Parts: sequence; C-alpha cells; structure tokens
Amino acid sequence: MGGNENNQEAHGLLEYGIMRTHLHSRGTQFAVAVTAALALFAADAYAVIDGLTGSTFTLSANDGYVLGGDGLSIYTWGFANDTGPMQYPGPTLIVNQGTVITIFLKNYLPEPVSIVFPGQEGVTATGGVAGQLTQEAPADNGATTVEYQFQASEPGTYHYHSGTHMDLQLEMGLVGAIIVRPTEFPVDQWAYNHADSAYDHEYLFLLTEMDYDVHLMAEFGLWDQIDTTTFHPVYWFINGRNFPDTTLPSGTPWLPNQPYNCLPRMHPGERLLLRIIGGGRDLHPFHPHGNNTTVIAKDARLLQSPLGTGADLAYSDYTIASLPGQTVDAIFEWTGAQLGWDVYGHAPGDPMEPFEYAPDHGKPFPVILPGQQELTFGGVYSGSPFLGAAGDLPPGEGGLNVYGGFMYPWHSHAENEIVNNDIFIGGMLSLLIIEPHGTPIP
Amino acid sequence: MNHKMLKTISCGVLPLMTLAIVASTATGAEYYLRAEAFTKNLPDPSGVGTIPVPMWGFALDDSFEGLELQAVSVPGPRLTVPAGDTTLTIHLDNNLSVPISIMIPGQITTKTPVFFTDGQGRQRVHSFTHETLAGNGTMVDYTWTGLEPGTYLYLSGTHPAVQVQMGLYGGVTIDAAAGEAYAGVTYDAEVMLLYSEIDPALHAAVDDGSYGTTGPTSTVDYNPKYFLINGEPYTSATLPMSAGAVGNRVLLRFLNAGLQTHAPNLLGMYMSVIAEDGNVYNFPKGQYSLTLPAGQTKDAIVTPSADGAYPLIDRRSDVTNAGGFSLGGMVRFLEVAP
Repeated sequence: MGGNENNQEAHGLLEYGIMRTHLHSRGTQFAVAVTAALALFAADAYAVIDGLTGSTFTLSANDGYVLGGDGLSIYTWGFANDTGPMQYPGPTLIVNQGTVITIFLKNYLPEPVSIVFPGQEGVTATGGVAGQLTQEAPADNGATTVEYQFQASEPGTYHYHSGTHMDLQLEMGLVGAIIVRPTEFPVDQWAYNHADSAYDHEYLFLLTEMDYDVHLMAEFGLWDQIDTTTFHPVYWFINGRNFPDTTLPSGTPWLPNQPYNCLPRMHPGERLLLRIIGGGRDLHPFHPHGNNTTVIAKDARLLQSPLGTGADLAYSDYTIASLPGQTVDAIFEWTGAQLGWDVYGHAPGDPMEPFEYAPDHGKPFPVILPGQQELTFGGVYSGSPFLGAAGDLPPGEGGLNVYGGFMYPWHSHAENEIVNNDIFIGGMLSLLIIEPHGTPIP
Repeated sequence: MNHKMLKTISCGVLPLMTLAIVASTATGAEYYLRAEAFTKNLPDPSGVGTIPVPMWGFALDDSFEGLELQAVSVPGPRLTVPAGDTTLTIHLDNNLSVPISIMIPGQITTKTPVFFTDGQGRQRVHSFTHETLAGNGTMVDYTWTGLEPGTYLYLSGTHPAVQVQMGLYGGVTIDAAAGEAYAGVTYDAEVMLLYSEIDPALHAAVDDGSYGTTGPTSTVDYNPKYFLINGEPYTSATLPMSAGAVGNRVLLRFLNAGLQTHAPNLLGMYMSVIAEDGNVYNFPKGQYSLTLPAGQTKDAIVTPSADGAYPLIDRRSDVTNAGGFSLGGMVRFLEVAP
C-alpha cells in the first residue's frame, strides 16, 4: 500500500507522452477533465499569463454565452479580440512600460458602450459620441470605431471596463485585465522595476460575480425589469470561470467564450506572483491556503514609503481583501517548512532537495496511513502523501495528480461565494499545485 | 509657515456657506441645530419626473428656536470648527415626533445611554447618549472636549438603524491649523464628499407609522434605491465640483453616512490617502481606489498635474437612480482649473 515511494518512481511515470484523464459524473459530484501535457517544455520556461501583446488592440463589445460551473448557460456581454468570439473576461492586454497603447472599440451590443482605464493617466478618446464618462460607441453594429489612447507609463496590474451604464454593463461582463511589464522585463522577471517584485510564475485572478436574473432578463430584452439595486449574485468567477472549470486548461474547447483558466502551479522555493483584480462590484476576501502571502503592491503601485525603495511597506497576510476596482499584487512562497515531517518521504541519509527545510529532513510521516479499504480517494490523491511520489490506487481512482503534487484550495473566504448557484463546491475557487522539482510548468 | 487660506471650498449643491459658525469662544465652537421632517424630491427611474420621499434632517439656527440660517437638509449643515478650538457644543432643537440625540464617532464625550424594557422584559438600548425629546421646550446640549483634527460624521445616536438612514447625519471638520487638515498636512483646496443612501420604501413606512407596526419591523430588508453624494444623486444636470487648480494640494474628504460600503474610484489621477476616521496613517497610500465602509471617513490628497474633469465613480455600481438607465447615484466630476 502506498507509503514511501520515492521521486525516482514518480519521474518514471512522467516519461510517457500526452496523457488524458477524463472523469465525468453528474448529480452532486462535479465534472472534471484534465489534460496533462508532458515534455516539450524547456526546463527553465516560466509561466506567463494568457493574453494579447503589442501596442494596438481592437476590442469588439459583443454578446454570447458562458457556462456556469453547474453547466448552466448564461447570456453574457464581453469584449472580443477584434472579429474573434466574445470572451469573458475580455482579452488580457500585456504591454510594455512607456508604450503608447491604442485601443479601438467597436460595438455590436444593443446599447452604447465605452471603455475606461482605472489607474491610467492622460487617457484620450476620439470618435464616437460623447458619453458621461468618455467617448462611446453607439449601438450601430460595429459601424463606429472609438479610439482610446494612453501611455502605459507605470508597470503593474490594471484593468479596463465599460464606462457606460456601468451598473448593467459591468454585471453583464464588460471587463478585462491589463498588465504593464516594467522596463526591466524580460531581462528580470519582475512585476515592477524592483527585485522585491521578482517572481518565477505569475497568475491572474480577475474576480467577478453575476446575478443570473439580470442576465436572464437581458437575454429576453426585458430591459425595463432590470433593477441593479437589487443585486443578488449566484455565480462567482476567477478569470471568467467557476470552479471546477477554473482548473481546466486555458482554451478548453467546450468553454469557447471563457478562454482563461486559473491553475497556479509552482515548485518549492519559488516565488509565485498573484495579480488579483477586483473586477466586480463586491469585496472578496481572497484566501490562498498553504502559507501567508506578501502583499507588495496595490492599484499598480508598490507599497513603498516616501523615502524607501522597493516594497518596504509590504506586509504578510493570509487573506487579501480584493476591493471593487482595486488591484493587488502579492508574492506566495512555499517550501514545506515547519510541517513537522519530511514532505519528500526521505530517509535521514537521503540527499536534500532544493529549498528543503533541513530541520524536518528525514522526519517520518506523523500518522500511520489507514489501509486502502478504509480510505476514500477522489481524483487528486496520487497514492502517496509525499511530494513527487505516487502509489497504488484502486482502479478508477486518482489520475488528476500525475506529478504527485500538493494541492491547496485558493478561494474567496466569503464561503457563500464558493458555490455554483447554491451548489457546493464551485464559484470563486481554484487549486494551487505545489509540483515536485523538475515538473514542467508552462 | 504656510499662510495659504482655503481658495475653493465645495460642499455640494445646496446654497450654503461652509463656515457655519454662530458663536465661538476662545476655546469652543457652538451650533444650534434643529431636527425636522421634510420632503425630498428624487429623480424617478425614467429620469424625467421626481418622486417625493419623506426625510428627516438637520437645519441650522442662530439660536434655540431662533432665526434659520440654513434650511433643513440631508446631509445636515456642515460644521466647520475653527482650528484651535478644543471643545464643540451642539444645542439641539427636536421638531420630530420621536426622541433623538447626536454622536460624533471619534470625538470624546461622556455618554449616558437611555434604556428601555422590551416586550420580553429585556433591557435594551434606545440611545447611545442622552436624548432630546420631541418638541423640547428648552435646548439640550451635546459637548465634545479635547477635539481632534480631522473629518468626522455627526449622526443621531438614537435608534440609529432608523434615524440615521432617515437623514439625521452631517459632516464636521476641524483643522489642525489654518490650511492644515492635520499637523503637517497642508491643503490649498478642498472637496467634501459625503456618501449616503435612501430606501424610499423604508422612509415611507417610517413616515406613515407602519414601520414597527403593520409594515417592516426592522431595517434588515434595507434596499436603497438612491445613492447620494452630499445629499444628491448624480443626474445629467449635476455640476462638476471645483477641485482647485493644477499643482494645488487638493484635500478630498470622504465620509460615509450610509449603511453600505462604497468604493469610490478616481479615473485619471492617483490619490494619496492619508487618514482614516480622523487618524493619520504612518505612510500615505497611493491608490486610485478607495473603500468606504459604513460610518467611515477617509482623507486623501490629490495633486493634479493636468486640468480637466476627473470622474469619481462608485465602483460598487451604485451609479443608478432607482434602477434607471441613465448615469446616476454616486458619481461626481472633480474639476481642476488650469
């Protein structure tokens, strides 16, 4: 029975080619599918956030459907990449510091749309019709193009959203992320022009919610019946998906309007950058399990004292308040330190792993594992409690943890938000996977 | 030493002077406030007509039951305590039909709560401090000592769930010195932004007596339809608020007298958030977003480098008037002169 398998055996399993595991069940269980693509990645490749790069973008406001984590179709408005399919959230724009960014807006929705850029200064807007906040593209099926321009003068995590009829259009989904790379990038993999923001992997957490009734009324054109003052969300999203779909790969074919996922992965000892965006109208207490995070920036500005350098006002916490409109950058680290047992299942004489916590080296697992017939497994148990190890499992069990990683739930701690329309578990939740050293992470 | 005086003061739409001082002794400021019911006309969802909503508010008199200096309003008159005053006294005249009181969270006073016995024989609090009875014949005084500089709310301390949201609130500010909000925090111009909400159904129930009897028995189903800054929702007729000139240090005083959290986002400019509830932070926070939980005040300095109208929008989507399509609610434009 699984216990002390070591890394060598686990690595042997990884030599296989593309492996697909698909579990599907209805009722109170959730449908999960995972594709594990092995090989083909350079050993020192770093994780990047999916999105569009460059300096000129065309965003088309369009409508379509997204799938809730319970499988329900939800009529949604979103920004598409030019003539591509509408997507929720809108395309993540990844640009370089100092570049002048031009965004063309075309509107295929039944009411005027515009875009505002919180955190950007000197935004100019030309074309279209003057709206209350900025120039708008009328509801003319794409005939009018509005041009927005600004210089991305400061690096960091930002977002964009509709500036027209905001209470409805934000609800319907017209929001997206902007990442401004510092001038140091890519020589240094930093979020800002200081080593305090260095990271090995970065992940986007664009947090939103939906009141399904509003989307239903919009779908049937019952505009007069929509009253956004009676907001009652029932779906909660990270990057446009509810759990468990947050853990599916990006570009999953059966989520054609939800191209982005949220599956943070790292090796022990690395620094993982969380780019958290309060994209909706509610506060979400984002709660990464596994360790505290160090908050280094808010609203795309390092937490820096007037006479200090870098993020000298950074602080450590285990829940990050994601406020509406605010962005937060935080660094997460994990080595397994002080768990009180050797997470690799080493014997005392075995060599140390990189970043291993020496005082726990060789310490045994603190409990005697029950026999297989006294355990329930689920999909994410590798068969062994040790990092990078796998073990025997009954037929049909496991399969979603091919590298033998440790999984921690990262989720909104407003626990009513980790459901899909009242069905637990779902909503604003995903899984961090601590992968053993050597696992390719794209 | 900074001798700059306040160049521009914005306090919202009501035609009032900001320096509402009646009598000021060497150490103390005093004001005569009168609580009264009135009707406020708010835009209906179509944006064309108005809906009358019963409100309670404060007015400013020159003496107890004397001449009116400022009509009853929501929020109540802004009380600007002169820098250097160490005590504040409010003389209250209550023309409502229920007892009221006044409290200023964050300032020091001695409170004598008023209790009652409920239907199950339990002792409950009705007021956090001594009350002013309905139709009082002599004035009732509320005094605060050891005044701290900053931005504060004054609110009814009696049955606050009902009375505050009916409109018994206002702003009170005390500067550390002329042109200095806190010690060392100078400003050239100032914008007062007091956030609040209105639930018309609740107001109607309080006004017609059905609240607590045949109608709602509590405010737990509070469902505001109107979202106000300085007592007015945004409409297309709302004028921009003067916010100094290029290069000025402009002090934004945010107050939330509502029952819900609001999240002002400033577009086009960053704020340096310097204080919360009258307490100065050790280090300012450079943000374009702000969170304002119910009852909180926050102070921020902006130093505009370009003129123009900077939108300040509530990111909690409280930007509608009773669900209407047009931009409404908690939106303002901060106009910076060249």
